[in-house]
Amino acid sequence: MNPLLACTGLSMRFGGLIALDNLDLEAREGEILGLVGPNGSGKTTLFNVLTGIYRPSAGTITFAGENIIGGTPQEIHRRGIARTFQRSRLCLDLSVFDNIMIGNHTALRLDFFYNLLHRRAFSRDYEMWRDRAAEMLQALNPSLVCRMFRPVGDLSMIDRRRVEICRALVSRPRLLLLDEPSAGMTHDETRQLMDEITASRMSGGSLTVILIEHEMEVIRRSTSRCVVLNFGRKLCEGDYAHVVADPQVQEAYLGKELE
Amino acid sequence: MNRVAVFFSGLPGCILPALLLLAWSSFFLTAEDQISVFLSLISLAACVIVAVRMRWGNVLRDSIAAHERLWDACLIAIMLALLVLFREDHYSLFLLGTIMAYATAVMGLNVQLGYAGVLNFSCASFFGVGGYTAAMLMAGTGLPPLLTLPLGGAIAALTGCVLLLPVLRTSGHYAALVTMAFALLFRVFLDVSEWFGGPQGIPVAPLTIAGLDFSRGISWGDTEFSFYLKYDLLLLLVLCLAYSLTRRLERSWIGLALDAVRSDEVASACFGINIQRWKITAFTLGNFLSGLAGALYAMMLAYISPANFTFADSLLFLSILLLGGIGNIQGVLVATVLVVIIPEKFQVIQEYRYLIYSALVLLMIVFRPVGLLPRKPRVYTGNPA
Repeated sequence: MNPLLACTGLSMRFGGLIALDNLDLEAREGEILGLVGPNGSGKTTLFNVLTGIYRPSAGTITFAGENIIGGTPQEIHRRGIARTFQRSRLCLDLSVFDNIMIGNHTALRLDFFYNLLHRRAFSRDYEMWRDRAAEMLQALNPSLVCRMFRPVGDLSMIDRRRVEICRALVSRPRLLLLDEPSAGMTHDETRQLMDEITASRMSGGSLTVILIEHEMEVIRRSTSRCVVLNFGRKLCEGDYAHVVADPQVQEAYLGKELE
Repeated sequence: MNRVAVFFSGLPGCILPALLLLAWSSFFLTAEDQISVFLSLISLAACVIVAVRMRWGNVLRDSIAAHERLWDACLIAIMLALLVLFREDHYSLFLLGTIMAYATAVMGLNVQLGYAGVLNFSCASFFGVGGYTAAMLMAGTGLPPLLTLPLGGAIAALTGCVLLLPVLRTSGHYAALVTMAFALLFRVFLDVSEWFGGPQGIPVAPLTIAGLDFSRGISWGDTEFSFYLKYDLLLLLVLCLAYSLTRRLERSWIGLALDAVRSDEVASACFGINIQRWKITAFTLGNFLSGLAGALYAMMLAYISPANFTFADSLLFLSILLLGGIGNIQGVLVATVLVVIIPEKFQVIQEYRYLIYSALVLLMIVFRPVGLLPRKPRVYTGNPA
């Protein structure tokens, strides 16, 4: 089967710094791929390259059979790649619903006539999207539904992550990039959140996920395969047991934890 | 206390404050000597402090949110009542007209800075472009005068396009500098331009709509109405339209996109939001509103000069927005009234008004950065209760 996402020879240089070095990576349709590696190993850079924020210095990226290099973040999102951010990039002064609808931007009607003058049609659409957002929140945390019109800044860290995940999923992407969803949360919260994501994935059809994570427990529980990066290069690839047994990986990253 | 709160959360919560506001503003506008001006300001401050202490603010806010249409009608009624009360008083009517013109211009600034986060230090220049467009079109062409109003807005929006490229290519402080430079250039340009009358300025022909000459008073029975009354009525109409447009814009997917662009450009781009498109939209729309207000204001003034549209005036518009609460158009109304009327009435501070504005803005930024009436999270439909 063809992979949903394939990168070959991907390199990203910032002046003298090589953030990604000749990286080959594949994500198969429907899998959860773990992406691990020490700080500064290029994980987030890879996400930024995949979503079009950076243009890679060399290499190819094929998504669903088509080249996406050179596409703007907007075009890449329209093709079906959505992401979350390591440092949660929600709009804190906007409401939960607003934040989710930002993720839904491409599905919203944006012409002036409809938005300013055709208010009845607008209200109908608004109610439809409100119900959809409520449904998504219900699946993650029912208590968020009644806080849908409160500013996101009032929410706890885990609830903010949930909103971020709703924002990424509302446009029904084919590939979801999760950048360290556990950052700022306790172990229990992280486990809960990952279970929720896995569960919502089951109901949502064949969503492919690439997950950046430092918590090895999360990687073990949630991913079917992982790729280990170090200094922008792929150290090894395989299932969790294979990866943690790899001596190079132990040296670079896991050594102390396994002792 | 509880029963009082329940009582005020209903209709009386809208109507009573509206009546109080009407009584206060009519007293304030008629106040001639400095002592009564001072007393009325003190009484207003006392009312606000008591209201905040007793937590009436929230009750009032909820009541207004629940009866939005009624509150809008109350505000329009207050303005109409004031216009009728001061039908013969040129000066008060002129002040009310100025307030409405400024409020409309700041609505435009609010779309730019409050929603899309595009800093614009040249709001008064676009206000001026509208004014000069009106002056030139009325003098040099046979266009129907009413058409010059939207044209004033359109020319201001077009002039804004000159700034678009540098504003979009730069970000943050640099974009602000670009607009500052424009404000200064605009003033100099007017000063040296023979065509636009140079530093002396040019007269603006009065508006005539369907044979109705706006420069003449109306006699109706025994009473003589000031000619400003017609301008005030038109300005009220324009302000209502601008207010309604801005509010609908905020409560729409467009408003959401603008807010997203302001909050986080990178995240917005990753969700398919076209940053440039929405910045251009907000900037152009805001300049249109400022230009429209400027055109009408120029007609009311009947004579405009570069001194009306200086960089200091742009700062004045910005301070109105900061004072009122960035993004909250109700706050804009309150702040415009305060900023325009207090120096006019308080002759003592007239000399020092920019000093006082800047002190006020500094105090606001330090102690209440959200403004007098902070913006609330968006509701998409009116009457949410």
